Amino acid sequence: MPDVQVRNLRKRYGDVSAIEDVSFEINGGEIFGLLGPNGAGKTSTLECIIGLRVPDGGSVEVCGLDALRQSREVKQRIGAQLQATALHDKITPREALRMFAAFYRDAAGVEPLIERFSLKEKADARFETLSGGQKQRLGLALAFVNEPRVVFLDEPTSGLDPQSRRELHQLILQMRSEGRSVLLTTHYIEEAQTLCDRIAIVDHGKVIATGTPAELVAESRALPRLSFRAAQPVAESDLRALPSVRDVAADSASAYRLRTTSTTRGILELVRLLEAQKNELLDLQVQKPSLEDVFIELTGTSLRE
Amino acid sequence: MRGFLQHLRLTLRLNFRSPQALVYGYLVPLFFLIAFGSIFKTVPPLFREMGQLLTITTLGGACFGMPTAMVAERERGVWRRYRLLPAGTIGFIFSTMLARFVLVASAALMQIGLARLVYRTPMPAHPLQLFVAFGFVSFAFLGMGLVIAMLAENVPAVQALGQAIFLPMIIIGGVGVPLKALPVWAQHFAGFLPGRYAVEALQACVNGNGLTAARFDLAALLLIGLAALLAGAKLFRWDVGQRPNAGARAWTLVALVGWLAVGLVSESRGTLTVRSEPIGNGLMEAIVQPETTTAPSTTAAGVRSSSPTTQFATTQPATAPTAPNPPNWQAVTAADADQITYDDLEADDSTVTPIAHSLDNLPEDVKGQMDDLAGKLADWKPGHVDDPVERVRNLLSVCALPDILEDPNESNVPLVVFEQIKGSMPKDQLIKVLTWIALKPDEGTYLTALPELGFPGPLQQDIVRERAEAYGRKLLARVLGKYHPTTAQ
Repeated sequence: MPDVQVRNLRKRYGDVSAIEDVSFEINGGEIFGLLGPNGAGKTSTLECIIGLRVPDGGSVEVCGLDALRQSREVKQRIGAQLQATALHDKITPREALRMFAAFYRDAAGVEPLIERFSLKEKADARFETLSGGQKQRLGLALAFVNEPRVVFLDEPTSGLDPQSRRELHQLILQMRSEGRSVLLTTHYIEEAQTLCDRIAIVDHGKVIATGTPAELVAESRALPRLSFRAAQPVAESDLRALPSVRDVAADSASAYRLRTTSTTRGILELVRLLEAQKNELLDLQVQKPSLEDVFIELTGTSLRE
Repeated sequence: MRGFLQHLRLTLRLNFRSPQALVYGYLVPLFFLIAFGSIFKTVPPLFREMGQLLTITTLGGACFGMPTAMVAERERGVWRRYRLLPAGTIGFIFSTMLARFVLVASAALMQIGLARLVYRTPMPAHPLQLFVAFGFVSFAFLGMGLVIAMLAENVPAVQALGQAIFLPMIIIGGVGVPLKALPVWAQHFAGFLPGRYAVEALQACVNGNGLTAARFDLAALLLIGLAALLAGAKLFRWDVGQRPNAGARAWTLVALVGWLAVGLVSESRGTLTVRSEPIGNGLMEAIVQPETTTAPSTTAAGVRSSSPTTQFATTQPATAPTAPNPPNWQAVTAADADQITYDDLEADDSTVTPIAHSLDNLPEDVKGQMDDLAGKLADWKPGHVDDPVERVRNLLSVCALPDILEDPNESNVPLVVFEQIKGSMPKDQLIKVLTWIALKPDEGTYLTALPELGFPGPLQQDIVRERAEAYGRKLLARVLGKYHPTTAQ
């Protein structure tokens, strides 16, 4: 049985439909990503599952329990980190962990959590003095006070510096190795590709594709890309005339990007063209379609926009 | 349960880390203590105003302290995070209210302690009952605070809503300005506000008959608190984004219905108005006792002469006697007694040295209390000492203490005591003793604490002496037939 089962989830805010018939499952020990731009409905979906919002329709099961009717029991089994960790300015990490732990039947020890999430030096410092990374680590530690079976992380690395982001990635991967299921929302494609076993691409409140990163790319109609640099400029019309080439873009006077239906045929045709024009190939790179290409193909927009 | 105890503990601890909370929680109550001590010149200091003072402290914590903290935390998203915990709304409401109760109770204790240290205010007559009454007051007010927290969108809105409740109660709700000083319409209006019942319940435990005299007030506070708590729980929101719709906002009416119901019941009982004091030249004159009551002047014969108000027919001009003083009470003559003047005495229906017209037609419970007092006095040892002057002084102390303490029976007690005094010696001897006491107001000592009779202390000897001496002359006037009943109200 999957740890999380979401069926036909719906949520409206006035006239705006935030979630439309969203369905997915998260299996035990799996990191599942909700990938989409801001406003796509990722956070609303997560908040409906963990009980922060009441959905207008659909069903949610967590660990075999009805999350809408058995909310308190579900909360005993899950941990969640919201986008911004919100605590009283004057509270210390140790106090916060101690208080949160007191609400659970099976709570983890406070000291091991402080150790695990590298909060020892700041355990007795006030929350207002913690850095962004330390606050996020504390948020994760709070999500772990009940040794949860399923962990929900809402944009956990948003706004963090690269070092803190890498540290957090390690902690998330560790969760999977401990057998926990993780639902992660992110708008970072690299993060989704690095961490997630499976991804649901969300746009305008709908899940438009689900699968492993490899499956999504494989099922995509996005074409491989050839990037090359020649000794002499090449006429774009000559490149477009090559049978396997679908698209041409010039990066500079003698550097180009081509989308080709076949990597092998594209390289052969390009080499023949340059040889015929007595031009020299100085550099050549082959790029397979990425998750970003899949995203653009599916949504028509880039996540970076 | 363990979680809520942790939340309670942490809420208290965090409060003491916030300079702003400390200012509002302790410095403001300290300011009110000093302000009351400076404004109200009653004796003993602050004893009659303790109910008002403690009500203001609780009201401040409820209207501003608790909702400000709750709304600020909600704005930060702290409550949203709490919502993820496997715990219910009611538990968080109770732990938050309990934490605030501990804070306001500690501020109230500070006020009582400082009043004792700085102003020598007597300790409350019924401390444990005061704590119970304080619990009822806090419950009612913190329920209101919860409603404020749920209605306010942000911290500035808390201030606005809080002031809308706080100020009317302070000014015309019988909390800041005593009911006696308010016009009749305001006394009626105050009946529809919880502050009045809070003051009455607390004051009954400070210098009154305790909770038995405040049963209606306690019931009123309980009803107001329950209505507010119900409304607050229905309006409760964890998140800034959760805005109450019109239906939810209608629960605010439930809280107000509690106020209305209590006011209407009070109105039907006819208990909304109290005897007003003369306003004179201004409000302060009404709430500040004249200095002459605390620093009386004396004539050569030891007869006080200050206020011209009297209810005794003046048979002699209020001039200093010329006859030489007798050497002892036994040597007192009719001429000595005739020289005693009464024109400086307060009227019997005044707030100083009051005497009831009669003990007839008293409510059953009050009549029972007076019978009980008469029974106690019959066996009361200081009322049976051999020296008749000391005996009468002791018994006159029993009149003075409830007057100073503003006991609800302050006007009934003297009638009971007078009967006891009159029965303790022959009339001619009594006239001599009372005349002697009037001629020698600075001699002897009076009892300043009578806990065995329900009148705590110790009070200041000078103040007790002044009141007891005045009661002595009022009794003398009655015994001599100089009391003029037509002047009594």
